[in-house]
Amino acid sequence: MLRRVVVCLLAIACMAGARGAWAQQSRPADERLGGCFDGYLDKAQTEQASAPQPGQPGAPAEIRIGHLHASSGPYASISMPVYLGLKLWVEQMNAGGGAMVKPFGRKLPLRLISYDDQSNPGTAATLTNQLITQDKVDLLIADSGSVLTAVSVPIAREHKMFLFDPTGTGAAFFSKDNPYIALLADPVSTVWPRFLWEFLKSDVAAAGLTRVAILYSTNDFTGTQAASIRAALKAPGSPVQIVFDQGVPTSTSNYAVLIDNIAAANPDVVLELGYVGNDIAFLRNLQESGKNFRMVFTLYPGIETSTLLKNVGQSGLAGVFSYVTALAYSYPPEVGMTLEQFRGSWEKAYAKSGVEFGWNAIAGYVTGLVLGQTLACTDSLAQLDVRKSVFSLSGKLKTLIGTFELNEQGAQIGELTPIGQIAPEGKDGIHFTVVYPPAMASGKPIFGAK
Amino acid sequence: MRRGVREFVTVALPLLAALALAPLFYSNELLLFNFIMFLILAQGLNAIYGFTGYLPFGYVGFFGAGAYGFALAVMHLNASPLLAMACAGVAALVLGVVLTPLLRLSGAYFAIANLAAAQAVYQVISNPALQDVTKGPYGVTLSSVFAPALSYGVALIILAATLALIAWLRNARFGLALQAIREDPVSAAMAGVAVVRGRTIAWLLSALIAGLAGGVFAWHISVFYPETAFDLSFSIFAIVFTLFGGAATQLGPILGVLLLYGLYNVIGITVPQYFQLIYGVLIVLLVLFLPDGLASLATRRGFRVP
Amino acid sequence: MLAHAILSGLVFGCYFTLVGLGLNLIFGVMRIVNLAHGDVVMLGAFAAFWLFALIGLHPLISSLIVLAIFALLGLPVYYLVVPRLLAARDSEMLSIILFFGVQQIIEAIATIAFGTSERSIPGRVLGSGPLHLLGQALPVAWVVSAAVSLLAVALVYLYLYRSRVGTLTRAVMVNRDEALASGIDVHRVSALAFGIGVALAGLAGVFSPFMLGSATPAMGGDVNLAAFAVIVIGSLGDPRGTMLGGLIYGVALMLMQTYMSAWANLLPNLLLIAVLLVRPTGLLGRQVRRA
Repeated sequence: MLRRVVVCLLAIACMAGARGAWAQQSRPADERLGGCFDGYLDKAQTEQASAPQPGQPGAPAEIRIGHLHASSGPYASISMPVYLGLKLWVEQMNAGGGAMVKPFGRKLPLRLISYDDQSNPGTAATLTNQLITQDKVDLLIADSGSVLTAVSVPIAREHKMFLFDPTGTGAAFFSKDNPYIALLADPVSTVWPRFLWEFLKSDVAAAGLTRVAILYSTNDFTGTQAASIRAALKAPGSPVQIVFDQGVPTSTSNYAVLIDNIAAANPDVVLELGYVGNDIAFLRNLQESGKNFRMVFTLYPGIETSTLLKNVGQSGLAGVFSYVTALAYSYPPEVGMTLEQFRGSWEKAYAKSGVEFGWNAIAGYVTGLVLGQTLACTDSLAQLDVRKSVFSLSGKLKTLIGTFELNEQGAQIGELTPIGQIAPEGKDGIHFTVVYPPAMASGKPIFGAK
Repeated sequence: MRRGVREFVTVALPLLAALALAPLFYSNELLLFNFIMFLILAQGLNAIYGFTGYLPFGYVGFFGAGAYGFALAVMHLNASPLLAMACAGVAALVLGVVLTPLLRLSGAYFAIANLAAAQAVYQVISNPALQDVTKGPYGVTLSSVFAPALSYGVALIILAATLALIAWLRNARFGLALQAIREDPVSAAMAGVAVVRGRTIAWLLSALIAGLAGGVFAWHISVFYPETAFDLSFSIFAIVFTLFGGAATQLGPILGVLLLYGLYNVIGITVPQYFQLIYGVLIVLLVLFLPDGLASLATRRGFRVP
Repeated sequence: MLAHAILSGLVFGCYFTLVGLGLNLIFGVMRIVNLAHGDVVMLGAFAAFWLFALIGLHPLISSLIVLAIFALLGLPVYYLVVPRLLAARDSEMLSIILFFGVQQIIEAIATIAFGTSERSIPGRVLGSGPLHLLGQALPVAWVVSAAVSLLAVALVYLYLYRSRVGTLTRAVMVNRDEALASGIDVHRVSALAFGIGVALAGLAGVFSPFMLGSATPAMGGDVNLAAFAVIVIGSLGDPRGTMLGGLIYGVALMLMQTYMSAWANLLPNLLLIAVLLVRPTGLLGRQVRRA
């Protein structure tokens, strides 16, 4: 209870503090926005710029944003950072007077209605429906994690509500016949590992590392990535050979035996694809086993860097390859805060929440940014106009995580993360060296000795 | 038997009518659907727990089997939804037959073995080795048969049939024989009750009901993962609702679902930040202060609860 | 590979004996199923984590503190909840519901207090590098955890079979009503067993960051499933049975990970069902099958 109060106070303090910084740094973005990426200057926008007006008739008192999060259960550790990141964005917008809503030609305050589904898909389904039918939200955001996102997809579609999907990367959600969804902050699982397999087939193979072991957790997120990688590595003409390819249940918490088995297959490269808990257990067990592989790649050192660093330690991460997300390679944003600004606001608001700053926190914030741009560009709050507005951002919206780009089914194909290698920094810190693709590389990969 | 009909008419019919008309007045139709689903599950659990004393902790196994029976029929046989519903029932029945030997166990042993069985079914279905058959961990999409209004109606029919079954069980010789087995199997056997056959039938009926509930759930939500269909909270909710209302009655589980699931949703919507905490406290208090369920309040005062 | 799997399985199995031990003791004495067991394990993990993170306390010292504090916390919980529960008609079944509620409360409070991120204690705290045992390399942290588990099993065995209160406890296990009739203070004996059961769960939690990689408030469910498998394979109520169950579970799991990794979680469940069907009271259990 007390902790809650403290967190709330901190959040308020942060809002007040962020107000200044926000107003300052978001101005260039606002100017760009006037054009809504399409080059025309909206009449309402000019009016708004000259004098704030009471608004046109029919303007709602607020924009209602519906969202689900899981405060407990297996998805809590990926869902809570997204929720808090989104909440931070909403609070900042409201501190600045709300979000610009084009059809009404003025800023409207945002109201975030976020229910707790407790990682229970059945509850998530009912609450999605609650948001649509009872709360009558203007914009609808799904929970993170494909299992929880999944139930919202048909419900949103049935009610013709456009579903903002922050990080539910399941490829099955996106089809030509469903216009009511877009994936915002993670690349879809089939596309995400593209740089990884390209790297393996080019630089890594050229260095003589051709024997690859794949160990993945059997869930949608990591299983789909493993399947894409497998297909790419098995494509005709591939210089790479897969010598070990096994799935393990996502609840696996002990990898010592598996590491021993992998070593018996004598691979040069080990790819371990799992959730946070899997990666932590794998990297800890690897370090303790005394086994060495020439190259090790896992997902989460780049995704939830500080959680991994705290659990695995500097020496356990040194030399490991991972995706380099905005945590280590952020882009100069045209919309929203830079990484440093966002991280600062996060630490101020949530330092005591027990939710670590990481990629999912950024994903929640970016979800907010997309929402804001959508409101600024949409012709009306009718859901197909909202969709049109979201898709109009594709290829144009540049946030700290890169360029937002959707394919025609609504799957995220931009925001691809480069591949990097971890090097120790200082006493117990780490930093990433980007090693692929060449255009982004900041150094050469260092492979372990044979 | 006439009393059974009267119980059905006084308790079940008003409920069914209310649920049939509710979507006209209340637009969160999925919430209503979940009410129906938990009513079915609670009564299905009642059929085995209330009448025989076996607590199937892994009841969700039948539910999941039904959901996947439905999904597989749609995906591989291009079955119509109604045929797929039949497959859902058959899938759960087959699982029920396979698990019949578990009835030799008693008390917590049965509950835990049943839980393990449900987990085992989940692990088989969600295994990537069976991806071509079940889509493994990648989940199924059944948008081709998605028909929320129709599946709502079918759920209502399943509920009606389940309630009729319970009303019959409470008043027919068979149901009374089952209750005799629950109280004392040895005496019941000596009194000429076919103990093994009786509880096997109750077990299979209970499995069938959960399978049908799973099938109509799959039909209604249409996009789901194995984690969704085999979510342990289905078992736990059904058990909590049944116990809270009072097992072996028709009205008890109904009240249990309406009050507790209603409260669950009210808490979730009004104070989401303390959702889990409040619900946990509530359950503890209920067990401590109302261990034999709501129905016991009336039976203690000499009323017969339908 | 085979030798490594078996040896790891044995070491892992020792730890899982500890995970099941507290659950088993409480069930054996009170015939109630502590569904919140996994969440107590989680609390033990967080206690050890915070003691380490805040004041740098070594997990072996934390484990003593956790044992003492958790046992003391268990006593009031016993008197608040269990006597009332045991008075009910079907207390064995009701306990599942009751402790489901307790589990929800613990997880909710832990989430509010600790947040949802993964936490752990570095493995090197228990000793660095792999330990070579019978020609196989094993993490030192594992071996230490397993040793502590063995010690705990031995102490519980001594408590039950070599102490007076242990004898009384076993009398309650055999028949609660007769124990009551023969003048045993059943509640005092049960409260002690409950406290010890909770303390053992906490102890298992202290070592979970080393054995299970990391801890989160949501970990209880998976821990429960493993603990159930272990105690049922062994036999409900007997610590030696739990040991046997733990070892079988550990070895089976590691063998499956080696040869059919995607099916690794299936075997414990099948094993559990098979054991129950062949010997319904566990491998070492007494015959109490009904009808």
